[in-house]
Amino acid sequence: MSAAITPPAPATPHPREETPFRRFVSEFAESKLALLGLGVFVLIALAAIFAPWITPQNPYDLAQLDIMDGRLPPGSVSGAGYTYLLGTDDQGRDMFSGMLYGLRISLLVGVGSALFAAVVGTTLGLLAAFFGRRIDTVIMRLVDLQLSFPSILVALMILAGLGKGVMNVVLALVIVEWAYYARTVRATAMVERRREYIEAAQCLALPWRRIMFHHLLPNCLPPLIVIATQQVARAIALEATLSFLGLGVPITEPSLGLLIANGYQYMLSGKYWISFYPGIALLVTIISINLVGDQLRDVLNPRLTR
Amino acid sequence: MTGIYRASARLGAVLASLVCGPAMAQTLTIASSAPVTSIDPHYHTLSPNESFDGQMYERLVDHDAHGKLIPSLAESWSLKDDTTWEFKLRPGVKFHDGSNFTAEDVAYTIARVPRVKNSPASFSIYTQAVKSVEVVDPQTIRLHTDGVYPLLPIDLSQVFIIPHGLGADPTTEDFNAGKNAIGTGPFRFVSYKPGDRIELDRFDGYWGPKPQWEHVSYRMLSNDASRTAALLAGDVGIIEFVPPTDLPKLRTDPRVTLAEVISNRSIFLWLDHSHEGPTPYVFGPNGETLAKNPLKDRRVRLALSLAINRQAIVERVMEGAAIPTGQYLPPGAATYNPDIKPPPYDPARAKALLAEAGYPNGLRITLHGPNDRYVNDAKIIQAVGQMWQRIGVQTTVEPSPWSAFVSRAGRQELSAFLLGWGVSTGEGINPLRAQLGTWDAARGIGTANRGRYSNPTLDAMVEQALRTLDDGARDKLVQQAMALAMDDVPVIMLHLQKAIWATRKGLVYEARTDEETRAVSVKAVP
Repeated sequence: MSAAITPPAPATPHPREETPFRRFVSEFAESKLALLGLGVFVLIALAAIFAPWITPQNPYDLAQLDIMDGRLPPGSVSGAGYTYLLGTDDQGRDMFSGMLYGLRISLLVGVGSALFAAVVGTTLGLLAAFFGRRIDTVIMRLVDLQLSFPSILVALMILAGLGKGVMNVVLALVIVEWAYYARTVRATAMVERRREYIEAAQCLALPWRRIMFHHLLPNCLPPLIVIATQQVARAIALEATLSFLGLGVPITEPSLGLLIANGYQYMLSGKYWISFYPGIALLVTIISINLVGDQLRDVLNPRLTR
Repeated sequence: MTGIYRASARLGAVLASLVCGPAMAQTLTIASSAPVTSIDPHYHTLSPNESFDGQMYERLVDHDAHGKLIPSLAESWSLKDDTTWEFKLRPGVKFHDGSNFTAEDVAYTIARVPRVKNSPASFSIYTQAVKSVEVVDPQTIRLHTDGVYPLLPIDLSQVFIIPHGLGADPTTEDFNAGKNAIGTGPFRFVSYKPGDRIELDRFDGYWGPKPQWEHVSYRMLSNDASRTAALLAGDVGIIEFVPPTDLPKLRTDPRVTLAEVISNRSIFLWLDHSHEGPTPYVFGPNGETLAKNPLKDRRVRLALSLAINRQAIVERVMEGAAIPTGQYLPPGAATYNPDIKPPPYDPARAKALLAEAGYPNGLRITLHGPNDRYVNDAKIIQAVGQMWQRIGVQTTVEPSPWSAFVSRAGRQELSAFLLGWGVSTGEGINPLRAQLGTWDAARGIGTANRGRYSNPTLDAMVEQALRTLDDGARDKLVQQAMALAMDDVPVIMLHLQKAIWATRKGLVYEARTDEETRAVSVKAVP
């Protein structure tokens, strides 16, 4: 996968050129399951992004909720005239609207925290690999320390200190997740650092920042992409867990985890829909991301190159 | 050593139950809703503790199931003069250690109560009116007060009597270990596992009617769902504080009998009266800081009260396990005022009042509350948020765990917040003094006045009631004081919780307004 040695352009152009990207796409498409996952994920993402235009109710506006419509079964008609497709929760919140808005939070937290953690973790991992010695020791011991605690415990402690809020959840997840990136990137970068193209760049006396980010980083990307997709799914699940435990988002702006928690106590009373549908949404989202991630891992793994 | 002793005691109990099968029926297992923090009856004025202590210890004066005062260790009491109460004690009462109950024990208990070390909330509020104690004879004791104090029997109905043989300053640890856990009650101490269970055996020397149960296992199951599950599985005979979410299911379950009563616990919203200038969480409609605290204006308080549909909260959030209220006490309680009706739901008038007060475009407010303390606390404030939103008060709802919340509320850092108050004495002077009396820590008035409401006219009326010895005249005064207070909307009353117990079929419980769960009141029926 070395990008430094660009193959010479073929003299006669083929009708369909075999670029690395095209090869990547065709290999990815070999798995129908992964394509399905991708399709489902795109649908979910679109529904979440355009939620304000799709949903009949803004579930975060208390004035639009009516306590008298609380815990209605799916298909009931609201006082305002629209139908509660998936029923309502105990506050009279339309579950369909609540789920789409909840998905917005879940995706925002998942993708946002995975990106931030990737930036922090990658930078630290590259620094550790590039400079070695004391910097490496300090960063990698930090990583060890971080990974020795269960992530949910660390996240709980951070949120207990910071208080509720979407941004605080993102921050907590970044603190929990950066170590995975750092460790992965360092391992890849350690290998790449000994390659000739890095030596060549160093001989040219390029500044270290340029070598690190323009030469080393692009060659560490494949494992990074795989880790990132897995971490998005992990972050979504972790956010749901935190909200379920009542430490994540504010109670009037529920994410999927909080919606499940709200309905949990009604499960035994036969009012299944409050927990059930958000649970399904969470499950489908995480599975679709994982399907994509698994296929990415297979495609981008040089050992499996066919 | 104690561990081995306890293990063998339990093994013995198991063997005994194996040998004589029917004996199983003589064990009662109670699931309480909150951990008992100590076996020391003077350690902590906390309802779960006081509820448990009722199995082992007794007071001079007790309450019946409806909250009426009844004789317990004292057979009768009377005023000798304006400042002297005389209690005639019950003869023939024995402590669990075999010693006789006499006036010495009462004097010893009253002296001990304020001396308990590290007490998180002392029982001394119930004994501080006693200035001196005079033991007349073993069966008679006189208590002298500073000035007229008609509430002394009510105060003493909270104080459990311990034997004077425990020596100078018995420690709370010795109570928890069982060494000092000696009372006159129907059951005696066997073992205590903090946060898990307390085992009790019948005390055969008990003076009162012999309890039906030979053995009582008092388990602490603070998780609502596990309490219900334990009952349905038959692991426990009775559960207290039945979660409202399970009510519809339990009402129709043939294996379960419910006992319910409207309790003395009211749920209400405190409003901040402490800030003349801007209050921390109220802003203008666009988030601008206001020059003065709008909550000091009665019209604003009344508007916020009229905006609330109490019936909706009771039906939808509480599942019928509450009734709307406009005062601290339930119908039937002493000093209940039938003329104070629950405030009506009138959003139009609420809007008009807001405009009249100078806020035609509404306000912005953050409503705080606990999320782990009262039944459905976090859901109630969300529902209130919906209703305030509809009269143009943009409401942010912020529930948090009790421990974090209550310290902020106590420091006047909040503007509007949900709290509850269980009137343990069962009459109106208690809330009028503790909740609405002008805050005065030295005199013990307004100790629970977290909004720092102050109304000198009200204070004077309550003071006058306290100096009135005639019961009828005093009750009248208290009713008037309550009407005066509630008309000023110092707090926004929401509802009175129902106390609900569920028993296995074959057992019945006599529901108590003070929410206490007592093993003697659980009866097996054929």
